[in-house]
Amino acid sequence: MKPSNHHKLFILVLFLFGTTISKINAQDSSAAESSVNLRYFANNNNIQYLLVQSRSKVGKKFQPLPKRAVQVYLDSNRAEDFISSTVTDETGTAKVLIPTTLKDQWLNSAKHKFIAIMAATPPDEEKTTILEITKAKIEIDTSTTDGTRTIKVNVKYLDNKDWVPAKDVEMKIGVVRSTGILSAGDKESYTTDSSGTTSVDLNKDSLAGDLQGNYVLVAKVEDNEHYGNLLIEKTVPWGVARKAEKNFFDQRTLWSTRFRTPPWLLFMAYSIVLSVWGTIFYLVLQIVKVKKMGRTIRSQT
Amino acid sequence: MENSTVLTSEQITSDLLPQKFGKRGMIWTGILLLFCAFGAFAYYRQLKYGLVVTNMRDYVSWGIYISNFVFFVAISLVGSLITAIFRLANVPWRTPLTRISEIIAVSAITFAALIIIVDMGRPERLLNLFIHGRLQSPIIWDVIVISTYFCLSLFLLYITLLPDISILINAREKLGKPFSKLYRWLASYWKGTTAQEKIRNRCITIICIVIIPVAFSIHTVTSWLFATTYRPGWDSTNFGAYFISGAFLVGAGGVVVAMYIFRRYYNLEKYITEKHFEKMGRVVVLLALLYLYFNINEYLVPAFKMKKPEEAHLTQLFAGEYAPLFWFAILVGMIIPIFIMLFKKGRKPLPMFIAGVMVVVGAWFKRYLIVTPTLLHPFLPMEDVPASYHHYFPSWEEWAIAMGSLAGVLLIITFFARVFPIISIYKTLTDKNETQQSS
Repeated sequence: MKPSNHHKLFILVLFLFGTTISKINAQDSSAAESSVNLRYFANNNNIQYLLVQSRSKVGKKFQPLPKRAVQVYLDSNRAEDFISSTVTDETGTAKVLIPTTLKDQWLNSAKHKFIAIMAATPPDEEKTTILEITKAKIEIDTSTTDGTRTIKVNVKYLDNKDWVPAKDVEMKIGVVRSTGILSAGDKESYTTDSSGTTSVDLNKDSLAGDLQGNYVLVAKVEDNEHYGNLLIEKTVPWGVARKAEKNFFDQRTLWSTRFRTPPWLLFMAYSIVLSVWGTIFYLVLQIVKVKKMGRTIRSQT
Repeated sequence: MENSTVLTSEQITSDLLPQKFGKRGMIWTGILLLFCAFGAFAYYRQLKYGLVVTNMRDYVSWGIYISNFVFFVAISLVGSLITAIFRLANVPWRTPLTRISEIIAVSAITFAALIIIVDMGRPERLLNLFIHGRLQSPIIWDVIVISTYFCLSLFLLYITLLPDISILINAREKLGKPFSKLYRWLASYWKGTTAQEKIRNRCITIICIVIIPVAFSIHTVTSWLFATTYRPGWDSTNFGAYFISGAFLVGAGGVVVAMYIFRRYYNLEKYITEKHFEKMGRVVVLLALLYLYFNINEYLVPAFKMKKPEEAHLTQLFAGEYAPLFWFAILVGMIIPIFIMLFKKGRKPLPMFIAGVMVVVGAWFKRYLIVTPTLLHPFLPMEDVPASYHHYFPSWEEWAIAMGSLAGVLLIITFFARVFPIISIYKTLTDKNETQQSS
């Protein structure tokens, strides 16, 4: 390469670098855009609720917008369809339950719209978001064949008044652990087939259970575009029973309850208390004796 | 008793009988009553509004009340020092000091118990300590030893008073009616027979033997309230001995102050002589040196290591917010009194009185320093607490209650001196007879 070509290349790289930096700066310096987000949850097919999230987008990142007033409606923003008025917390989140006053409306349709309106807070204008969901239910079943434990999950959605298999629904299937869900098989997620079913063979042996050897299986659909978030749990006796640890506070120690005082302390304390108070009692008896002597002398005189 | 050999029995009895309050006595009592009333009003406010009227919060949950408690427990130890230890060691010059030390012990331990109830905030729950108390807790040990020490101290005071009350009953004409019923109720059975005297002497000896370990326990257990709590400044295996040496010092200092005041205002120069100040001066110097030694151990060793979690606490004491108080307590409470009393001229009544006051005042601030700065520097700082929680200065209610309790101690001593002889008449007469017989 000739020296003049080196210069051209250098100038080109410098130009590209400069434009990239200026774009990044432009993004960073652009005004944060506030928004409101809705998420629908149905746990174990009987508890439906919404999570409202108020947030602002700075660059490519979302930041929580705390203390924002949001009104939530079902199907339309008429007063009779009002679900709840809420204020988001420090994390920009609020939980909203569907009130019993809207029970009939909720049951009458297979599909619903949720409308969230975040009140204007200068400099942010009023924001609205709409979430459409189709009612769905999720079922979990287990079986054991030749020592192989299988978890079968079925998802159905409501079509008019019929429950129809929901295909191509992606979910996590696993075992509830203290820090999250441990996948039951080798894959991170599973997808339902045309019958709305997916199954997985549990390949985890010797997982710790509770004192009875139980642990909880879970199937979890996350942010599905039609059905929202679905979750189903089932307790199974497939775990290794945890040995009951001797309760820390049930031992006779210095940090136990008053009914579990160490014997050596009881012995020492009672010995000291009884000997000292025994002496005091003896001294009182001596005074009584002196008193009697005095009365005898008085009666004689 | 320097001149007891030249004093007649009648004169001794006459000199040592309780005296009516003069004008100064009335003013003194009035002032103490005012302090007590003000303290009671502050306590009424605390009961009404709760402990929120204090400035104790999440960090400093033991404030001036617990400082006062430790101070009272400390000063009450003097009863065992002067009466029990001096008696068992057969110290011949102890007679005029024993009753003073006994009443200081009883009044101080009474208010030590009361100030704990004040600190509880919910006094109606006091009974729960006895019903639901855990024997593993040093707080329960403290409850047990305080009540035991109170009973023993009261018993010791009473039993040593018996012959004197008998003298008071006989001196009814001179004393008038005011307390004659009380005297008769307390000791009309005392006839002073050989058999009675023998039992009384045996009882006193037994109490003197028992009260020493109990007195050591009371202050050791109080120190364990701190030492068993894992915090900078309290995490010490030396705390029991450190507290006991300090208690002996403040107790002896308190006795010196009381000796001077009673001597001067009750005209007891013939009984509490310069010789007594001279002897007590030596005792106080020894105790001050001992306490200074323990202080050096308690502060120099951690300061030499300057462990990170303890650094803030130690720095605040040596050169920070609490430095003036800390150096005041060390200098005024120990070093200056040592220098005063080390010399013969310093062991005269007035310098001794001044040194005694310094010891007592220094000791009070020392207890405050033991309790408060440590609480401000826990090993694990609390999160999300208001900035004001990081500092502590008692509210006016706390000051009023603390001062009221101090006034209460002095009031008990004052009323006691009005009703009973502050120097044992019987023992003084016995000492005089023994001196005459031996000469």
